[in-house]
Amino acid sequence: MTLTENVFENLRLELRRGCLTLAVLAQLRQEHYGYTLRKDLADHGLVIDESTLYPLLRRLETQGLLVSEWREEEKRNKRFYRLSPEGEQILTHLLKEWHDINASINRIM
Amino acid sequence: MELLDRYLQAVKKYLPLRRQDDLIAELRANMDSQLEDKESELGRPLTLGEQEDWLRQIGHPIMVAARYQPQQYLIGPAIFPVYWYVLRMTFLWATVIYSIVSAVLIVSKTPNGTAVLEAMLRIPGVLLSAAAWITAVFAAFEFISTHFPDKIPSPASLSAKWHPNSLPPLEKPSATGKRPRSYNQAVAEVVFGFLFLTWLVLVPQNPYLLFGPGAGFIQSAPFRLAPVWIAFFWWVVVLNVVQLLWRCIILWRGTWQQSRRQQDTAVKAFGIVPLILLITSRDHVYLLLKNPATDQLRYGNLADTINKSVYHGMSAVCVIAILSLAWELFQVVRDTDRQREAAR
Repeated sequence: MTLTENVFENLRLELRRGCLTLAVLAQLRQEHYGYTLRKDLADHGLVIDESTLYPLLRRLETQGLLVSEWREEEKRNKRFYRLSPEGEQILTHLLKEWHDINASINRIM
Repeated sequence: MELLDRYLQAVKKYLPLRRQDDLIAELRANMDSQLEDKESELGRPLTLGEQEDWLRQIGHPIMVAARYQPQQYLIGPAIFPVYWYVLRMTFLWATVIYSIVSAVLIVSKTPNGTAVLEAMLRIPGVLLSAAAWITAVFAAFEFISTHFPDKIPSPASLSAKWHPNSLPPLEKPSATGKRPRSYNQAVAEVVFGFLFLTWLVLVPQNPYLLFGPGAGFIQSAPFRLAPVWIAFFWWVVVLNVVQLLWRCIILWRGTWQQSRRQQDTAVKAFGIVPLILLITSRDHVYLLLKNPATDQLRYGNLADTINKSVYHGMSAVCVIAILSLAWELFQVVRDTDRQREAAR
């Protein structure tokens, strides 16, 4: 990887990190377990690694933005996540921020 | 699927102990679902090669487990600049204090070259020890501020107390057009100042530090130094101590980039005092005979000649120093006037 490619990759990851959190919070307005959430995000064009998504879910839960519960579905125990009331508030603020930034970027471009 | 079990077992080993079972159960549920989807798409179980490719795509067990670990810093980015500054200052002051203590101990015990060398060789250990303590204190601060944020003021609250009025005045280029002194230069001046002072204090007990192998010849010579040199010597020591303290204060206050013309002029002025002491000494005697009764006839004239030469030499040096000081004072006054006029 050249220096330029390396710089681009770092910047891309930095840009993506915040967007992924926003997408996950938005998608968890409806309940999901890890695998179906990943599939849903991919279906919407946002591919995300298992090794990124599952720890992210745990982190957001620790921060109080998600709640989870173990439940049996199709004869298998799965951990289902959904947005907590605090998470809903945060998501509203983040979405506003996202729209503002997006509008600004569009005006700049 | 045995390979998946082996994979999860490997991941589990690197997960936090308290959450291992919970995390592995979730990971297994998600991976089982993924595997089911893959197999229903293909209409058959995955081959061993396909299983290997899939797991390789997910990642090395250590890397997968690492994502579940909280991000940990020994010293985080918020306080790292402060840590770095304190570490640099600690290195400086540890060197300064250690040098003073060592110099005092060496002079009060048995001043010799070996003792100086041993003291210098201990410096890296002293600095490492100081660095370890500072790092430990900052790591503890980081731990407390991360785990008990209400127990300790955050860097953000400290910066809220900061006011722009506390900023140092704008650095102006020196009148001579020279580049302002760098931090490294300022540190080097302090360190070498201490080394020079140590060397100077050791010279009376260890003349070979000044004369080298010629010290033996001087000891066997029929002459000895007159008492006026003792006063001269201590004046020079005091001048160097004052200059060194001045440099330390400048470094402590962080004003090493500012012009220190006044300091240099003051040092030059006080530097003339020991020269005046020498040329005003009684009868201009600088060398005495060790045994006047036996050596007067043989070395008396030589001693007189040397004394006269030293007197004339020192007088010339004194005149040059006074003229140089007068010229410097004239320049200081002239530049001050120019600055006043420019300010109007």
